Amino acid sequence: MRRRRAEVRKVLPDPVYHDELVTRFINKIMWDGKRSVAQKNFYNALEIVREKSGKEPLEVLKKAFENVAPVLEVKPRRVGGATYQVPVEVQEPRRTSLAVRWIVEAARSKKGRPISEKLAEEILNAYSNTGIAVKKREDVQKMAEANRAFAHYRW
Amino acid sequence: MASTSNIVFYGTGRRKTAVARVYLKPGSGKIVINEKEYPSFKDYLKSEVLEIITNLPFTVTNTVNQFDIFCRVNGGGLEGQAGALQLGIARALLNFNENLRSPLRANNLLTRDPRMVERKKYGKKKARKSPQYSKR
Repeated sequence: MRRRRAEVRKVLPDPVYHDELVTRFINKIMWDGKRSVAQKNFYNALEIVREKSGKEPLEVLKKAFENVAPVLEVKPRRVGGATYQVPVEVQEPRRTSLAVRWIVEAARSKKGRPISEKLAEEILNAYSNTGIAVKKREDVQKMAEANRAFAHYRW
Repeated sequence: MASTSNIVFYGTGRRKTAVARVYLKPGSGKIVINEKEYPSFKDYLKSEVLEIITNLPFTVTNTVNQFDIFCRVNGGGLEGQAGALQLGIARALLNFNENLRSPLRANNLLTRDPRMVERKKYGKKKARKSPQYSKR
């Protein structure tokens, strides 16, 4: 039994764009607490986005994020011995976390180039609704759609 | 000391273990840190992100390049020193013109960041990390 709801930790807006979403990305990219390295990588990625798309990187990022953020996912639930994949709506904090995670993981799954280039590419892909992260979201939502029959097990 | 002219505005800033003593003099944006002159904060802090942090008090009050900055910073690392400079500059600007309080306040530049390194405890490897459990 959980004692109390975990308190939501706020992140500070980042110094360059004053945006919390950007901080979330930087924190996700960071390894071993090396924030300045993560910042360098991410800001470089945004600069590449600016160059390649000719648009404001923050807007591209937001749009890309929206394209990756899932609406539905499945959660396993045991009912009388059988486990069903029950589709549920994704609530706000988790939605953000998943989208950020998927984009960063998608960028990391590419090989042989600096992370900033890979990130920039993934962000641009997500912006135009293609790419590995968007694919991930589609897969998850497809799973939810396919298991629609179990929707009444929602709790 | 920069007190050849007697209109100097002073502010102390601290962050983590860093201490910054900042003297502002109306001028053109000259920067002297620990007796050495730098073209911009970036050349001392070695990071564009940290430069944004130190310049924030000037940006929010529209006073970029309106002051010569003379300061001494010691203690801490670059991140702490950047934060200390920010607070020092903000307080010095307040000395210069009390009306700047509201823009500075709005950007949370007048509060000393109270977060410090948590002390190490006995029976622990660090402040909170426990030694690995070994059954025998």
